[in-house]
Order: sequence, then C-alpha cells, then structure tokens
Amino acid sequence: MDALTGWWDDYLWGAVVVGQVFVCSLILMIVFGLLGAMAKISNSRTAQKIASAYTVIFRGTPEILVILLLYFGSAITLTAIAQIFNPEIRFVDVPPFWAGTIAISLIVGSYATETFRGAFLGVSPGSIEAARALGMSNLQTFIYVRIPEMWRLALPPFGNHMLSLIKDTALISIIGLNETMFVAKQAITVTGKPFTMYIVVGAIYLGFSTVVTLAVMGLEKFGERTTAGAK
Amino acid sequence: MTFDIDLIVESLPLMLMGIGITLKLLIVSGLLGLMLAVCLLLMRISGKWYLSFPAQVYIYIFRGTPILVQIFIIYYGLPQFEAVRDSILWPILREPMGCAIVALTLNTAAYVSEILRGGVLGVSKGVLEAGSALGMSARQKFIYLTAPIATRLALPAYSNDVISLLKSTALASTITIADMTGIARTIVADTYAPYEIFISLAIVYIIFTFGIQKLFGAIERYLGRYTEREG
Amino acid sequence: MKLTALRNMAFGLSAALTLGTAGAASAEKLRVGMECTYAPFNYKTADGELAGYDVDVANGVAGIIGAELEFVCQEWDGMIPALLANKFDLIIASMSITEKRMEKIDFSGPYRFSTGQMLGPKSKEMELFDATGNPISNNFKGLRVGLERATTYSNWFEEILPDADVVLYDGSEPLYLDLQNGRVDLIMTNPMKAHLKFLSKEDGAGFEFKGPVIDEEKYFGIGVGIGLRQGQDELKGRLNGALKELINSGELEEYALKIFPFKLHMDEWGQ
Repeated sequence: MDALTGWWDDYLWGAVVVGQVFVCSLILMIVFGLLGAMAKISNSRTAQKIASAYTVIFRGTPEILVILLLYFGSAITLTAIAQIFNPEIRFVDVPPFWAGTIAISLIVGSYATETFRGAFLGVSPGSIEAARALGMSNLQTFIYVRIPEMWRLALPPFGNHMLSLIKDTALISIIGLNETMFVAKQAITVTGKPFTMYIVVGAIYLGFSTVVTLAVMGLEKFGERTTAGAK
Repeated sequence: MTFDIDLIVESLPLMLMGIGITLKLLIVSGLLGLMLAVCLLLMRISGKWYLSFPAQVYIYIFRGTPILVQIFIIYYGLPQFEAVRDSILWPILREPMGCAIVALTLNTAAYVSEILRGGVLGVSKGVLEAGSALGMSARQKFIYLTAPIATRLALPAYSNDVISLLKSTALASTITIADMTGIARTIVADTYAPYEIFISLAIVYIIFTFGIQKLFGAIERYLGRYTEREG
Repeated sequence: MKLTALRNMAFGLSAALTLGTAGAASAEKLRVGMECTYAPFNYKTADGELAGYDVDVANGVAGIIGAELEFVCQEWDGMIPALLANKFDLIIASMSITEKRMEKIDFSGPYRFSTGQMLGPKSKEMELFDATGNPISNNFKGLRVGLERATTYSNWFEEILPDADVVLYDGSEPLYLDLQNGRVDLIMTNPMKAHLKFLSKEDGAGFEFKGPVIDEEKYFGIGVGIGLRQGQDELKGRLNGALKELINSGELEEYALKIFPFKLHMDEWGQ
C-alpha cells in the first residue's frame, strides 16, 4: 500500500479530469442525440439518411478506433480546412481532451439517438392534441409537452448512456489524456505494482458510476412525482 | 492529404488474418458469458439473500467499471501475486488470450444477466397464472413458460450486447493480442499512416456489426413467428 | 447546467483549438512528444513532474535556443504518426536515428548511444549467440520473445530472426513485468535501462543478459536523436547547435551522471 504514497494527488487530478470529460461529453452527447433523433423523425429523406449513417458508423466501430481516428485525423483535416482560409496557419490541433471527449460523445450520442427517437415517438398523441387545442405553436408544443414527456421515457436508458460515457473515458488514456488510467501507467513505471495501481483506478470509476446511478434514480423519482401511480 | 489506396489494399488481408482471433474472442467469451449470466440470473431471482446479494455485488462491480480496467487488472495486475503464478489458473492467465477471454466473459456475464432479468420481469403474470392453473410446478413454469418468453423479449437487448462484445474484443490488442486491431496498430506503427488503416479497419467492424444485426433479426423473427403483431 | 459555466466551456473549447501562425516573435513555442513511461529516460515522478535524461536534454536545448516547451505524452507506437499529424513538433523520447525512420522524418544529431541486449531468466540456459556475436536462430525455437512495437529491437528481430515467436507490447513497463512473471522467456531492450531499473533491483535478481550488446548501425543507427518533421532545416540547425553546446560544455555528461556512473554519448558528436 505504501506504493501509493505520493500518487494520491495524481489520482485525484486524474479523477478531476474524468469529471471534466464527463460534463463536456454529456452536453455534446445530448446535442448529438437530439439532433440525430430529430433528423430521424423529420420528413426530410436526406436528414434521415445522414442520421442513419451516423448511427451505423458510430454504433458499429470499436470505441478505441474512433478515439484513435479522431486523434490522428483531426489535426490533419482541421489544418487542411483552416489553411484554406489562412495559409499562414501552421497547425490547428485538437488536444487529447477534446479529441477523446468528442469521440465518446459521438459514440454514445449514436445510441442516444435511438433512445431519444423511441422516447419522442412515445409521447402520447393525446397530449399533443391537447396542446394544439390550447393553441400552442409548434415550438411551444415541443418545449412544454414533447420534451418533458420524452425525457421521462428516456431516463432509464439515458442513465446507461451516462455510465457508458464515464467508462469510455478510460479509453482516452490511450491517446495520452492524463486521467486515472494514465496516472496508473506512470505510477507503475516507478513502483512496479500494477495490481494496486489499477485497482485504485477501478475504485475511482466505480465511485463515479455509483454517483451517476444514484443521481439517475433521484431524477426518476423527481420525474414521477406528478404521474398517477402507473407502476 | 493523400489517401494511399495501395496501402489499404496491401494491409486489408493482413488485418483480416486477425479475424480468426476476433471471432474466437467473441464466440468463446459470448458463450461462456451467457452460461455465467444464466447462473447469475438464477442466483439473482432465487429470493435467497445469500445467493442474490453476491450476484448483485458482482453485477454492480463489473458494470460499474470500465472493461479496459478489468482487462488490465486481470492481465497485468494478478501476476503481481506469487499465489496467482503458482496456482492452477496460471496456465490460463499466463496467456494473453486466456486473460482476454476471462475478462470479456466476466464482463459480458454481468450485462447479460441484467438483460435476461429484464426479460424475465417482462413475462406477463397472466401467463404464469395460467401455468399454475394447469398444475405446473415452479420449475416447469420456468422452463416452459418464463424461459422461452423471456428469451424472446431479451433478444433485442442481447443483440446489442453481442455487438458491444465485438467492439470490446478490439481492446484485446492492448494486451499484446494480434487480433484485427492489434495487427492494424502494428501496421500503423510501421507505415505511419493511421488514417487509411484505421478507417478500413472501422469499415470491417461495421460490416461485422451489420452481419450480427441481420443474424439476430432473423432469430427474432423466427422466435416471434407465432406472436401477434400489433398493428 | 448554468449558462455561465456553459459559456466558459465554449470559450475553453475555442481556446483549446490552438492556432499557430508561422514565426512567432516572442518565445518560440515548441511541443515535445515523449512516452512519459520510459524510466529513466522520460517518466513522471510521484510529484507529477516529468523527469529523466530526455527531459533534461529537452530543457537544456530549449534554454539555448530560447524556446518554450510544452510536453505531450504519447504512446510509443503512435509517436511518429503523431509527429506527422502535427500533434507536436519534436520527438525527444529516446528515439534511435534509423534509415527507416529517416524516410519519413528528420533527426538532429545523436545525443545518446543506442544499443540493445537480450534479457532472460538465469534459470533457463540459453546459448543464443555464437562466438562472433551472431545469433543462432535454431536456439531461439521454443522461446517466446517479448518486444515493444515499432522499436529498433522489434525491427532487428523482424529482419534477423523473422521466425521467432514474438509478442508485441505497447510499452516497456509491461515488457519487464511479463518477463518477471514468466509470460515471455526473453526480451530485448536497452541494456542501460535494464541494468539500472531491473537487474540491480530485487525484482531482477533472477535475470541476466543473454548475449552481447548489439549496436549494428543498420538497426540502431548512430544513436538516439531529436525527431522533427522533414523540411525544417533551420530548426534542425539550431537544435544541432544546441546539442553541440551541451556536449562541449559538459552539461550533457551531467545529465547522464545523474542516473548512470558513465556518460551516454560520444565526445566526437560535439564537433
């Protein structure tokens, strides 16, 4: 256990990084998921095709590959694009934090697309008719009726998506992000105690998972407070 | 940025040589994991706390930590202990394939047991009551009523898990296994061309995923051939 | 999610997409790629500081050419692809100057010897080399060899002993660990590192070198150098000037003496 002395603060910083990735990727995941779901439900055939391609690609490719591709490919593509506008630019780079965060948001977002789509379709037509009868515009219907009902339906699988985000963060260590797995690798170089170091990583992620699971359970209770005991 | 097609043509056959290993990981871990999952399920729904509680803890730990951490703890961490190296498990744990299969099996079992449990919970009470009315014992009800219905209900979620398992096999490359991803990373390291190699590899996995989805779609249709379709 | 936090993160995102324009007037910013897990040459201490011979060389050179350094950690097998993809500007990671690598990237002059040697358990008798120092390929049969991907060692094996049973690793630490727990029977690695970090410690007590030091220039090059993208002759010139100064002033030797009881370079590189 004394192998760990001196490394606790590094692990703490690693955990902070995991938290940062979680927050950023959560927002992006919701954005990608909602966009995808709306595209799939929309009447535009192109939008549907693009959304389909999106889900097929990101649900079918191993996460580690997406991360590696975004990491290596981003700099080249972005630089090429940026150089069209300003040839002076030497490089446009996406650091591992964002390459990894965007990668996992795209991946989990493709699953979220299906979740949100199912949830949107699950909004009872009765509520929509009532909203129309009350004279609400499309936008108002969307904000006050569709989203709240959709949200309640989506919550359980959404909780799983959040857990996926947290666990996929460990993969970003492969491209050098200084979260807990990477700290463990560095610690092993110096201490030579892999079991101890990786168990700490496991415990930290388990902690995060527990917090998220509890939060989701709390949100579910909150969402159910106005529904007549349908359980 | 030039896209080196020749490189892709040269490398694809090499990467496809890893298909055998990928399939072995997928099928062996999938089957073993399924068997373990059924055991866990039975423990979980047994009603006896000394069976149900350990199962719940196991599921909580393996679903709450990233699979990469689990793989690393088993491959790099366990040999830290002399006791492990001298035990009968060592011939398995000594081999990277052994460790990968163990890790993937333990991981997928946790997820699949929850999926099966969802299926079991979805069996309508009416059917079970009819069974009781016909004089079936609890054991008979489980084998002839719950199991088939639960299997059919769990199938969509299970097919998702099989796809996840396929994607997780790519992580075996981090413990020296020369599966498709492992071979790809070696090629990238030699040719310095991550873009072309990883994109072609991603396409291979997507095709694989497609195949699995079609397979399960056919199984679903077969199992559900007597069920009434809703509208 | 508060709007201010959202806005701050949006700023963070745009700030993170760094834009570099050619020829910055003030302190030049150079990003340096290294493994960060390769003791004693580049690694992180418990205090979170990067340390090691490569780190000292990097800082020394930067001091002389007046550049500000940013260190980027990168897994070894992605080191050159990352340099080519513009993830960083220099590789100061104990990378040997080989012909194969020079096809894609440029190198400064050498700043350290590059050699390889095999390591195996004392309990296993192995006669792997004949009297002239050539490997006897038959005696490698039945031995599992662990090597790091994309290294001079794996290259040497590929060319000289292509039939050997080789297992490829992502890093050097796992290599040593697996040698210790018997997953591999033999590894080929940097003999200086092996001696310092392994053989002289109790973990390495049951192991020994199984063959002579190999330094064939074809595979190991003239030494370890600073890698940079091709077409930057001006920068290369300044790096070489800085390295020569470090050699001639004795500073390079000081870096080596921090870890080893001998220097790691040849004096004539300072000419």
